[in-house]
Amino acid sequence: MSGSALAIRRARRLPPMPPAIVVIAWLAIAVLLLFALVPDWLAPHSPIALDILHRLQPPGLAHPFGTDEAGRDIFSRVIYGTRYSLGLAIVIVFSAALFGVAYGAISGMAGRRLDNLMMRVVDVFFGFPVLVLALAVAAALGRGLSSVALALGVIWWPGFARLVRGEVQRIRERPHVEAARALGVRGVALMRRHIIPFVVQEVNVRVTTDIGYALVAITALSFLGLGAQSPTPEWGLLIRDSRSYFGDAWWYLVFPGLMVMLTTAAFSITGDWLARDRHLGRGG
Amino acid sequence: MLAVRDLRVTFPRTGGDFAAVDGVGFDVAPGEFFVVIGESGSGKSMTGSAIMGLTPPSARVAGSIRLHGRELAGLPDVAMRPIRGREIGLVHQDPLSAMNPARPVGAQIAEALHIHRLADRQEAARRAVALLARVHVPDASRVAQAYPHEISGGMRQRAMIAMALACQPGLLIADEPTTALDVTIKAQVLALLAELRQEMGLAVLLITHDMGVVAELADRILVMYAGRVAEIGSAESVLRAPRHPYTRALMQSAAISELPFKQLLPAIAGTPPGHATRPSGCAFHPRCPRAEADCAVVVPPLQPLPAGALACHHPLARAAVPA
Repeated sequence: MSGSALAIRRARRLPPMPPAIVVIAWLAIAVLLLFALVPDWLAPHSPIALDILHRLQPPGLAHPFGTDEAGRDIFSRVIYGTRYSLGLAIVIVFSAALFGVAYGAISGMAGRRLDNLMMRVVDVFFGFPVLVLALAVAAALGRGLSSVALALGVIWWPGFARLVRGEVQRIRERPHVEAARALGVRGVALMRRHIIPFVVQEVNVRVTTDIGYALVAITALSFLGLGAQSPTPEWGLLIRDSRSYFGDAWWYLVFPGLMVMLTTAAFSITGDWLARDRHLGRGG
Repeated sequence: MLAVRDLRVTFPRTGGDFAAVDGVGFDVAPGEFFVVIGESGSGKSMTGSAIMGLTPPSARVAGSIRLHGRELAGLPDVAMRPIRGREIGLVHQDPLSAMNPARPVGAQIAEALHIHRLADRQEAARRAVALLARVHVPDASRVAQAYPHEISGGMRQRAMIAMALACQPGLLIADEPTTALDVTIKAQVLALLAELRQEMGLAVLLITHDMGVVAELADRILVMYAGRVAEIGSAESVLRAPRHPYTRALMQSAAISELPFKQLLPAIAGTPPGHATRPSGCAFHPRCPRAEADCAVVVPPLQPLPAGALACHHPLARAAVPA
């Protein structure tokens, strides 16, 4: 290595192009976000307009995904449903991540006793079965998406807390953290500038994959009747409503189901790709 | 300004505590270049960490560390904060891992000023560039924008020194600052330390294992072995007339004596005692050419000399000038 003063190596290469399947997953996520943000621009029909004359029509030009038992356009219902299913999944995972990161960071920096106490609390939440909690919340607050959000939020944050606590404990042993402490940096500043930036990538991976899992959990709870109520076009509820017509109208079940599957896959693929590449950002 | 007395850093272990530092004492005067020398495991770095209050959580620190008469040993982390960086600067062995890889060099220097409320953000950023220029980093304003991995090893160590000096501490602890550098850069960094000490009246506590490093710079030298003081004295007396067999062995293994070319440098036989076992009596006795029966039994006390102190039962004669 040269001792030359101007040995600043501007080695900021562009990262290599991700594999095709990852690009496809990104496109899918972009389309889904559009669905969630501006459904009224994209949906050909109203999601709740009844049209009894055209009930249970198979997929065709007028109704790409067919119609349901009340003649509503399933394609439009799926588009509007994105906001409920995916939107709620994103909200749940982001709030859980926000709280979990703060909790885990405090626990990771705390002394042994406080850390132990905080982690036992996490264990309690971890051990709680989602379904039982969702039933309890639904019984207390009534069925609906807000009950689902509450139940899942309570279940979701401990995963982040554990992840971040472990990472913080690992990173706080690094020489640059000790060097910062030797300069007099402590507490929140130490956390924010010298530890959290190295935890963020792990959290990003987790958030991305968890959105898919949260989506499955939301649709599952709605499918069981604990979540969205008619006529909300939530995907899980669409699948629930389609059960009685499965023999005659396969499209009613298949298209919302495919949406759940493809969305989860898209987030899962993106998460895996982030996980594979996360070492790139970990400067030398 | 710095007075260390009977410093002990112990780690609890089954079957008796392990003392990484065992009764070390020394003084550093303002503006003095003080060198602590010893092999790996001699406790020299742990001594530095103890002064900064940065020993591992499991370590117990006993004894006294006074800075300007104020006791530092046993101070809680919160109370150490205004001292770290502000009154004692620390230069690390490996600047690449000691710098935050995700922040530009200049921002990290400015942080020291900002943390101790010596400057607002803009002023701190401006002074960071001036500090880089002060440690002879050419093109300082560009280097300030660069990330640690983008600059050379020598520049990184200079930046590290700038960081340690940002708040104008009276004492700089440099823990093997040249180990990660190649030979020419090493000489430059040492010259920089000497210059700063001269011009800023800075006291420097240099921790090293390399006798070659200390010969020209040191005012006083502390030789450590297995957590204890072997010999302490003025550089002149320690280097010209080492009394402890270990000091002489260290000197002979460094290429500072004018040995004819191609003559092999003698190595010190054996290895320094590890964490598992410490020899009884004088810890150096299994490797010492002058060891006698009493060395294996009695710990040699530290006895004052005209220009220092010595812990040896059978020291070399005063006149002995090796090589």
